[in-house]
Amino acid sequence: MSISLEARIESAVCPGCACLCDDIDVTLVDGQVYQAANICLWGASKVLGHKRFHPHKPRRRLEQPQIRRRGRWEAVSLAAALERTAEILIQARRPVIYGLTNTGCGAQAAALEVARLARARLEPADLAWKAPYYQSLQKYGVFWATLEVIRDEADTLVFWGANPLHSCPRHVVRYSIFARGRFTERGYEERRLAAVDIHRTELADLAELFLLIEPGQELSLLQELLATITEAGVAVSKNARRLAAMLQEAHYGVIFFGRGVSYGPTAALLDGLAALTARLNERTPFVLFPLSTDFNAVGLYHLLLRELGSPLAPDFGADGEIIFHAEPLSWTEVDALLVIGADPFWFLSADQIQDLHARRVPVMALSPVANRTTGHAEVVLPVAVAGVETPALAYRMDGLPLFLPALLPGSRPADQELLQQLAAALGGVSRRAACD
Amino acid sequence: MRLAIVGGCVFDPASGWDGQERDIYLENGRVVDYLPAVDQVINARGLAVTPAALEIRSPVAGFGQNFLRLWGGMPSPAELGQAYALLGYTHVHEPYLTLQTANYVHQELAALPIVDTSASLAINLRDVDLWLQDPQKLAEVGEAWAYLLEATRALNLHVVEPFVRFRQEFYRFRTLTEAKVMDRLFALLDHRRLPLTLTATPALLALDQPVPPDVHLSSLGAALTDDALLERTLQRLAAGLSADMGLLPPAPRPGLPSRPVQVDLGWFQPFDLLPEVDTRVAQRALRLAFLGKEFRLAFSVASLLPLPLSRFPQVFAWLGHADSRRRDWGHMQAEGTYSFSDWLRATRLLPAKYLGLTDRGHLRPGARGDVALYDLPAPDNWVESCQRCRLLCKAGELVVHNYEVVQPQVAKATHYRRTQAVPNKLVAEICQNRSLRPENLQVHAQPHLHWRQVA
Repeated sequence: MSISLEARIESAVCPGCACLCDDIDVTLVDGQVYQAANICLWGASKVLGHKRFHPHKPRRRLEQPQIRRRGRWEAVSLAAALERTAEILIQARRPVIYGLTNTGCGAQAAALEVARLARARLEPADLAWKAPYYQSLQKYGVFWATLEVIRDEADTLVFWGANPLHSCPRHVVRYSIFARGRFTERGYEERRLAAVDIHRTELADLAELFLLIEPGQELSLLQELLATITEAGVAVSKNARRLAAMLQEAHYGVIFFGRGVSYGPTAALLDGLAALTARLNERTPFVLFPLSTDFNAVGLYHLLLRELGSPLAPDFGADGEIIFHAEPLSWTEVDALLVIGADPFWFLSADQIQDLHARRVPVMALSPVANRTTGHAEVVLPVAVAGVETPALAYRMDGLPLFLPALLPGSRPADQELLQQLAAALGGVSRRAACD
Repeated sequence: MRLAIVGGCVFDPASGWDGQERDIYLENGRVVDYLPAVDQVINARGLAVTPAALEIRSPVAGFGQNFLRLWGGMPSPAELGQAYALLGYTHVHEPYLTLQTANYVHQELAALPIVDTSASLAINLRDVDLWLQDPQKLAEVGEAWAYLLEATRALNLHVVEPFVRFRQEFYRFRTLTEAKVMDRLFALLDHRRLPLTLTATPALLALDQPVPPDVHLSSLGAALTDDALLERTLQRLAAGLSADMGLLPPAPRPGLPSRPVQVDLGWFQPFDLLPEVDTRVAQRALRLAFLGKEFRLAFSVASLLPLPLSRFPQVFAWLGHADSRRRDWGHMQAEGTYSFSDWLRATRLLPAKYLGLTDRGHLRPGARGDVALYDLPAPDNWVESCQRCRLLCKAGELVVHNYEVVQPQVAKATHYRRTQAVPNKLVAEICQNRSLRPENLQVHAQPHLHWRQVA
């Protein structure tokens, strides 16, 4: 047996979800992760490279760039794969760059440059529920707090269409339900917890109040809550009365909402939640907090706001001006798709996939592992796992950036590097076109 | 690289030059007495040659500022950097960096092109309230703050809430009044000399305690809630207090949200990114700017949202031109006016002194070659020429030429204070209550972050 060299990396930052837990202690043996302490299943799937819900099944890594020709995969050089990607983007009339929530800030900035040069639309993977959230802030103002302040101060938590145990498992122990903070020293015992969902989730066993509602009932519940808080003595359902009482008794409250809000009338729901939070905030601090899942979703919105002044999906297709979209992409309009840090074919319907195939929409994917999107792609570019095999900067779900150094050596290039090369190739074409 | 700026009228309050025709020589990015031969000559005839400006208080990189872009109130970092350069600035100081948000602030500062940057570490006194109550422990508090100052790559300390209060009834017994806190802070400075800034509040201005000369009072404007406080502040300025104006607009800026935009950073009150503008308070702030002109009162605005960089020429015009003042403020009573040299003193010399950057804000030999050239101002109207900078040199490198940025990629760095303090028990206690481990709270070297130490 070869010599095992042990190395220990303490306080590594986990790219498993947007919690970015920074207490991961990793032991390396022979350049491989032998042990990772404090890590959840999601983080372990990234660091150890197994399937998220099947810890004993390793994920298939993509080994080399491939291009599909006449239905068959062909291994090609990196340069050839990049050239083909640039060619497709240039020829497309409605190219879309999709995803980016599961990659580092450097790659996001490079993708923004690619979108600009390819006159493409850049679509964050979770735009469906983040865009309405930012629009609600524009209307109702902002009261924001970091997770640390929430842990220290919040005595009332509501999870609306969110299940942290699945979307960001350690959130509940580090920042919310069980966490012990400066003024919440007894953790769970000192907090009141409510949850609203259309499915019964694990939170039902933890919450003082779990409101299982039918799809479509969200808005009426919100209206009842607002009415109860605004005027005393309004006749509302028992559930609304109990939840309103809990909210009104809070000294510091947080409404966490998750992807569940996107299954109904998202814009109206977020508007209602923001209105409710603003009303509660007149009396006591209340935060409306999106429970981001992907490890750097917040970094992408931060970049869009900082560089373009809007968190909505920028579309560089129009001459001279950027159009910002709050509505998620209509897949029937796409004629070329570059996917980075996401797997949209996981949730696309069979009809949508069929339509993309029928229209022969070329899909290009930058991914460390084989997934449904790479299975449908015309060009596949294997990349290193951001934050594990290559360093990355990522923003925690409350907007604080953390630097994730590389834990393991990797043979594949960083997605940031490939996107920069792609931008250079597109820039060269743009310059030639300008000269002609 | 040797550079000569010849034939210009040099204005440098630190050297006592008020428009004398002189040549300025730069070698290796620094001002030197004389050079017999140079590589490049800039003909500055018909131009005013001044030290480059330093922005003493520019909340552009603080946590939460990005939210303001939702209303189009804040330009992108690239636009901000260029706008500062075109006004003649080469340094920008962010006043709100906390232990939690240090990494955030440094990422934002790094995104600002052209200008050098620095930040103040905003101390939460609630983290050390029990230590402050014990006079025996003040030395340890000073040592802990000195350590955190270097660990977060900040330039000075900033106390935003000069008191200790808690929302929770249970903690009421730990309250510390402004007077008590000042006693402790000033005693602490006797143990450990640390550059300290206090955000001005009405309660702080009303105190009887004398403020040590090396303590700076930040953003006076918003604290001037009555005329008695204005008088009192003037007395303090006359006694040697260092402060900055914190000017406010005469009316709220149209198009900004009417709803609050607040971020809870763990202080007693949430940090208000969009404070309301009271016209009478704003008038007092402007009056103080004139009345305190002779004292150590540096130029600053309270917030870049109501008074963005694009309005700086207008703000300069309030200082230098009675007509502009009358137009924007009506018949407000404001005594005196700023001369070109007064303005240079308030935007160059005093900010450099406050930031402890001894080689900035003047053009004496040894100073860094940060030189701003403007069209030569008319004796009675300097405001016209200071609206845009004709040429700007940063460390001897030409950044702005003929009113245009020609070198946006010029080298830049974030300045921080080197204290060589070691972590003590209090540092461990402060870090223990954080949601990140201490090693991840520290600001680490990254390829795009460039540092420069200040002793």
